[in-house]
Amino acid sequence: MKPRLKLGIDLGSSYTKGVLVNGENQIVDQYVVKTGFDFKRASSRIMEKLSENYEIAMPVYTCGYGRDQVEFDHISNSEIIALSKAVYLKFGKKCSVIDIGGQDTKFIKINEQGQVDKFKMNRKCAAGTGSFLEEIAFRLDISPLEFNTLSDDATEEIRINSYCTVFAISEIIGLMKKGATISNIAVGIYNSIIERCLEIVAADETIIITGGVPETHPTIVRLFKKRFSQVESPENSQFYAAWGNVLLNEKK
Amino acid sequence: MSKTQSGILRLESANTLKVIMNDYFQRLKDAVETEGKKVAWCTSVGPAELLYSMGFEVYFPENHGAMIGASKNADKYIPSALAKGYSPDICSYLTSDIGAFLQNETPMKRNGLDSVPKPDVLVYNTNQCHEVADWFSFYARHFDVPILGIHTPLGIGELSDNLIKSVSEQFKALIPELEKVSPRKFDMDEFKNTIELSRDACVLWRRVLEKAKHRPSPINFFDAAIHMGPIVVMRGTVYALDYYKILYAELDDRIAKGIGAVPDERFRLYWEGMPLWYQLSKMARLFAGLDTCIVASTYCNSWVFDDLDPDDPFYSSALAYSKLFIVRSEDVKEEMLQEHLKDYAIDGVIYHDSKTCPRNSNNRFGLQNRLFEKTNVPFLEINGDLNDPRCFSEEQALIAIETFIQQLSAKIYS
Repeated sequence: MKPRLKLGIDLGSSYTKGVLVNGENQIVDQYVVKTGFDFKRASSRIMEKLSENYEIAMPVYTCGYGRDQVEFDHISNSEIIALSKAVYLKFGKKCSVIDIGGQDTKFIKINEQGQVDKFKMNRKCAAGTGSFLEEIAFRLDISPLEFNTLSDDATEEIRINSYCTVFAISEIIGLMKKGATISNIAVGIYNSIIERCLEIVAADETIIITGGVPETHPTIVRLFKKRFSQVESPENSQFYAAWGNVLLNEKK
Repeated sequence: MSKTQSGILRLESANTLKVIMNDYFQRLKDAVETEGKKVAWCTSVGPAELLYSMGFEVYFPENHGAMIGASKNADKYIPSALAKGYSPDICSYLTSDIGAFLQNETPMKRNGLDSVPKPDVLVYNTNQCHEVADWFSFYARHFDVPILGIHTPLGIGELSDNLIKSVSEQFKALIPELEKVSPRKFDMDEFKNTIELSRDACVLWRRVLEKAKHRPSPINFFDAAIHMGPIVVMRGTVYALDYYKILYAELDDRIAKGIGAVPDERFRLYWEGMPLWYQLSKMARLFAGLDTCIVASTYCNSWVFDDLDPDDPFYSSALAYSKLFIVRSEDVKEEMLQEHLKDYAIDGVIYHDSKTCPRNSNNRFGLQNRLFEKTNVPFLEINGDLNDPRCFSEEQALIAIETFIQQLSAKIYS
């Protein structure tokens, strides 16, 4: 008989993440797929994969843009509250969470009791999100992940000022014409994301970085650490909202 | 008491409101079509009483702008204004209104008006913003009619006697210019009478809004944003006064029966900033579904000119129209908001940062953080616009609002 576990799914704009959680509130298995054009399809793929070795307890706990676009019994929650729950369980202290996703950047202030004191999302603009990276990579005809390796060879930190992705690309072309290397530009692109994050809300002493973008672009975390002394980015943080969603409902 | 499918309770007075608003538009139509009758255009917090007292029918382009927004057609009209050289960053009431005019369309067609009523004079007050002068200038050039204005200083802290007197003199200076086109000469008794009618309607409107102090509140922001029509366009007439007596009685009745605007009111919010006109009913349903009543707002409270005094009509007009929230300093605004949060037992504040309306977006100079530090009342900022739906991300706002309510729930009920 397969073990019976709770499933949390975070249906984001770019990726759909699922986690199986046991009775000790620990993640037992996880899976991520591209969301694509159909939330139902993405969530069904998660369900299918994670039920290979386990029995899924119903209802499923969902959050994210597609939280109610699933074809099975579910309870939905805010991914911001869910993410905060997971971060607080992991770190247990007052902190600022910066979650960088495909389409949204979220800044959350968690108090000593683990409650959300304040949160704010990026303005309706790609600046500071994964979409910014993807669009620039596309225009430069490289893979977004290449920015990581390229930035290892950077010799100086070039500043990219434009908020707008299109204008940022024009600015980058201007920099290239002046002889800037792609490695230095890569760091400039990452720093631009950090700048956009930091202007959302003034950060607390402890900063926790989460989301799919920092997980696949660890240079962002490294650059955050250069600026702040207390920066942490837990492993598998892109699954934290899905995990926290199960934890939230566990409490109820 | 009627209930819509969405679970939102509709005020019965809305039927009367529809009739009196339609009658108002018929008077405008009649004024355009009848020899000897005259139409003055006025800004929403402009000198309406003076104009009504001199026999004008008074038309308010901002009301028209809101109607365009509510009809969800602003994004269809705005491009025409942009193509004429107006920026997408300026007031979207202005751009959607001018765009609709250029396309020869108006939501007033359902009231029998084929176009905006041709003005005989345009009168503005810059107390709300300076863009109204540019807006009215378009029509002054187009129709080749006079444009007059009161220039109120912005960011008023202390309402000094000198300041009020200087604004009062500007009210008086309008008279000889208006008399060149008005149906009748200025008459002090008529003016005093109009001021009294306006004051009484404003007092009643304030009392209507104050009904929301009751728990559960019998009225919410989305109701008030619709039912404020008469105080905007008919203050100074008996029609506004009569209407608010009806509305007031209905709210009293709701309170007596324990009926709330949101059936299961758990959270009470304050709305700071402009409505999202194209989202009004959706937002009303969203908040009702979250057991949340937006009980008070800066916007609806902005038409409370209860300082008007028939015994001193010019000075009191200047005082009333210089005292309103939008024209005040950040410190005064902060104090006014703090008072509202206390009076209405507010659990949280929503700041709507309206892209094209900086003067009605009060989260741009840190006020939201200062107020939070003083009151500990949590707040949420959402980005959008009063009329231009292209500046609003519905999905992002939905997530933010739902999260905010969960945040409040944890704070209040944990």
